[in-house]
Amino acid sequence: MRNQRISRRDAICIGGITSLGLGLTDLLDLRRLHGVSNNARAKSCILLWLEGGPSHLEMFDPKPDAPVEVRGPMDSIQTSLPGVRLNECFPLTANIMEDVTLLRSATSPLGEHNFGAHYLLTGYKPTPALEYPSIGSAVASIRKNPGILPPNIAIPRFTNNLSGNGFLPPSTQPFAVGGNPQRPDFKVQDLNFFNGLDGTRLQRRRKLANAFDSFTAETDKASNVGNPDLERAYNLLSSEQAKSAFNLAEESSEIRSSYGMGDPIGQSCLLARRLIQRGVPFVTVNSSGWDTHNNIQTLKKRYATDRNAKLPSLDRAFSTLISDLKRQGLLDDTLVIVMGEFGRTPKINSNGGRDHWPRVFSLAMAGGGVPGGQVIGSSNPLGEFPQDNPVTPSDIVATIYTLLGIDPKHELHTSDGRPVRLAPDNAEIITSLIG
Amino acid sequence: MPTFPKFYILSTFFLLGSWVDIPGSSALALDFVNDIVPVLTKAGCNAGSCHGAAIGRGGFKLSLYGGDPKSDFESIVYQLQGRRINKSNPQDSLILRKPTEQISHEGGTLFDLNSESAQRILTWIQDGATFNSSLELANISVSPERILLDRTNIPVDLTITAHYSNGLTRDVTRWSVLTSEDETAVQTSKENPTVKPIRNGRHIVTVRYLTQVKAIEVITPLVDIPAEIQIPATKIPNHNFIDSEINQTLEILKLQPAGQASDSEFLRRVYLDLTGRLPAVSFTKSFLSSNDPNKRHALIRSLLASPEYTEFWSYRFANLLRLRPQSLGEENSEAYFQWIQSHVAADTSIKDFARTLILAKGDSRINGPANFYRTTTDARQHTEFTSELFLGTRLRCANCHNHPLDKWTQDDYHGLAAIFAKVDLGEEIRIKLEGTSIHPRTSAPAVLRIPGSEINLSNSDDPRIEFANWLTAEDNPYFARAFVNRLWKLTMGRGLVAPVDDFRDTNPATHPELLTLLADDFVDHGYSVRHTLARICESAAYQRTARSTEHTKHDNMYYSRALRVPLDAAVHADAVSDVLGLPERYGEHPPGTRAIQLLNPLTSSRSLDILGRCDRSGSCDDPTAGPSPLSKLLHFFNGDFLNGRLNASGSRLQNLLAEGVQPKDIIKEYYLAAYSRFPTQKESEFWLAELHKFDTNSNRDQFLEDFVWSLMTSRDFITNH
Repeated sequence: MRNQRISRRDAICIGGITSLGLGLTDLLDLRRLHGVSNNARAKSCILLWLEGGPSHLEMFDPKPDAPVEVRGPMDSIQTSLPGVRLNECFPLTANIMEDVTLLRSATSPLGEHNFGAHYLLTGYKPTPALEYPSIGSAVASIRKNPGILPPNIAIPRFTNNLSGNGFLPPSTQPFAVGGNPQRPDFKVQDLNFFNGLDGTRLQRRRKLANAFDSFTAETDKASNVGNPDLERAYNLLSSEQAKSAFNLAEESSEIRSSYGMGDPIGQSCLLARRLIQRGVPFVTVNSSGWDTHNNIQTLKKRYATDRNAKLPSLDRAFSTLISDLKRQGLLDDTLVIVMGEFGRTPKINSNGGRDHWPRVFSLAMAGGGVPGGQVIGSSNPLGEFPQDNPVTPSDIVATIYTLLGIDPKHELHTSDGRPVRLAPDNAEIITSLIG
Repeated sequence: MPTFPKFYILSTFFLLGSWVDIPGSSALALDFVNDIVPVLTKAGCNAGSCHGAAIGRGGFKLSLYGGDPKSDFESIVYQLQGRRINKSNPQDSLILRKPTEQISHEGGTLFDLNSESAQRILTWIQDGATFNSSLELANISVSPERILLDRTNIPVDLTITAHYSNGLTRDVTRWSVLTSEDETAVQTSKENPTVKPIRNGRHIVTVRYLTQVKAIEVITPLVDIPAEIQIPATKIPNHNFIDSEINQTLEILKLQPAGQASDSEFLRRVYLDLTGRLPAVSFTKSFLSSNDPNKRHALIRSLLASPEYTEFWSYRFANLLRLRPQSLGEENSEAYFQWIQSHVAADTSIKDFARTLILAKGDSRINGPANFYRTTTDARQHTEFTSELFLGTRLRCANCHNHPLDKWTQDDYHGLAAIFAKVDLGEEIRIKLEGTSIHPRTSAPAVLRIPGSEINLSNSDDPRIEFANWLTAEDNPYFARAFVNRLWKLTMGRGLVAPVDDFRDTNPATHPELLTLLADDFVDHGYSVRHTLARICESAAYQRTARSTEHTKHDNMYYSRALRVPLDAAVHADAVSDVLGLPERYGEHPPGTRAIQLLNPLTSSRSLDILGRCDRSGSCDDPTAGPSPLSKLLHFFNGDFLNGRLNASGSRLQNLLAEGVQPKDIIKEYYLAAYSRFPTQKESEFWLAELHKFDTNSNRDQFLEDFVWSLMTSRDFITNH
């Protein structure tokens, strides 16, 4: 199944009934029926996770004609797609819209950070019975990644709202690079040998540690021989080449400054590009500070000459990432997603900010086989709810798996053997995102 | 629980919806609450995915699972110009035509016009479509409550009975909704009240009728075992009442328990559980060589009486109470911690402990327990904290709506918040009678109320008194259970109810009777923590080995073996310091300060961060995920935590080498320090063979460093087992 894909024509054909009404099962059955090959292009995924809930109205779904309390204090600009406008802080993104697809009709009932993050990052609404794995962890457990670099990396860290691995083994948890990639002295901690140690000593330690655990495994049948975490750490430490992936100093200063230096998101995106270039299948860039209950204007500018506020920094980082990937011939292989846990209230509140609003929000996607230059779905004129093509986080997650060439019906197993689908049963693939 | 005459289980079919089974009730007309709402629930009309959604569906909104029948009645009888109900022509009512799909319905055909559901609705409208509910549902009972089967794929019928406040009962099997927590484990059918396990193990099915939910357990043996094999409970060691139910369950599940833990295993485990430390090498030697048949019992007693016990359990209590100087202030934290310590040292009754916290008043810089109110910043947060702490219940779901899977209502939540709103949370904790908490549904100050109870409190001087009285009353069903369940988890590795702060009707205990017995025993012995800990540690279940057999390795909740639990971050850090023989420095604290002694859970320490400590900003009940295992191992390999002290000046290794101790004896010493045991012969031979490879002392010393490093990263060291 992994190497099959439904053709765009088939998708449109089925989509004719209702562009989003296609159940997962139908689509996959159809695929099997036609024997259409799935050349899912995306080998890797870079997720820009905007933690806190980014405002759809100040980003990808501005409402210039709405009353001022909805429109908000910022302007909007025309983009390279006729009739499609973005917030005024996105001039660079506006120029590359032929590579970008906006999804303006995401909808969820969960307006709390933790719940929203769970839903968007796992495709499942959170339940006390089971913690589901995030997309990156599921990818890490499915893709038998032969590389030495960890398969699931978070820059600089993963969101605090969930562990990431859920019921999967902790080894699939996102590896946090830590620190701040824009600092000149940035490096991943503990990659260099401790004073006085060398590769030979580490090798012996690994051998002896395995000896201890093997003795344990002889008497404890629940105990595995060998420690896979130790193996992974050892392999990474003994490969200079793998370790150099984290060295941003290898990039030219032009490239570094084009990604932007004022907010960590710029250099984080650059590091993400270096990692997927080296075969890492899933990288999350975690950007915090999007929970704008107060003064929404600070997203644009925090003081008079500020050009490193959230929105301009995102515009620079995202647009540079897309063009950089394109220039290097990596865009077709790399799915880039911009999303957060929900949108913001259509009406500006008394503190000049916007509160949580899950009923409609927007995402941007590019690369990885997603046909660019589209706007999928829309919200109503006041940005309150989906006007057409509502899609749920489950649908989004199922579509991401599909784009990555992974069957969303694939079953993972909990520690007690319970089979769980990657995406819930009722998830529907957003066919227009699959080129 | 009431018991039912057998014939009740017989043909429920003939009892469906008929009234003859209720003595004296045949004259009752159908009413909305008791007769119509169940039809809507059964058909799924008021589910979250249909009209029960917060925004309704297709312009028609019902309350989730019929939680608010008044507003549902409103929607059906009065909204849409009353077109949903047609009294002059009942057959034309939309409420009938839609679900039977005589006109287009997005949700499809839910029942036929001839069905009982349709007929009920029709009769109700013909009778005048009244809300009129003289019957008030008190609770439901399900029979059987617990289904034990010796193999899968056997269907079992359930009978659900509604109990009304006037004493009447009615069979409501037909109208109850069964939901399997996991359909791949237990199948339920929409049509029949039947459950069928299809996967081995213990599974939960939730039964809902109107506002009432009940969970039933469906249990089959964990592993496929020929039917003739029996594991009689009487053959399993039984030290005290704790073992009785555990052994019974093992018999039912056909789980042959693992054998008794060795003295070494028991020693290390009980030391870690009661004092958060590893035993000293000298003590280990004398304990292992002692022939006293009573030595385990004596050890438990002496550890419970030790200052190390007080220190460790004060740390655990500080975790529980989320003590952090960041929110309390330095001076307050000291006062609070001293108070905690004095309680743990004196083993004061937990009832008094809770009462003192809840009723605390005065200057929080001097009066420690007053800081209970300074851990949170408002009445709602305090409601959630208090309910998790003392009721073991996550009340927070009831902030926004009645809990769909539990009995807690929004009124319970905001009623308790209204009590705490009467507390001024300043430095001086005092009662402010003007304080209110707004109920989101009414937008008015919430009525003071004790959770789960109908009694509304008047504005007495200090409304907390009534809450404390209710909470700590001997017959309070939550308090003692929630507390002993925590003690159980802290020693046995998993709560009988897990997670420990998620007591819920739909999350039953693995061993319900044991939980009751433990709680009763705790109450009978003055709510003494030490008493209950001693009971647990003395049980045969506690004293089983953690080494699992092929047979027990899948068991993680029936105690056929002891569970292997990762060391708590602070305990782990201290154990490393003790084995290496050199303490770690924590900020400006004097050398020798142990991690469990740190008052401030954010004291700068990369080791504690790497080990995944709890920062007490929320509940510490479940181990925090912490950094990924890769980060941990990278730090073990290249960080300071282990490398900085393996053979540093003053370390155990350097001292032993300086004393001229033979390498093979050094290895033995480390086994005793880290594992509380001697190496086996096979292990000794392995290490001797390794040592023979070295001719120079410096090479050999480096090897010993590597030996110690590997020991410190081994599975048997980093877990309690």
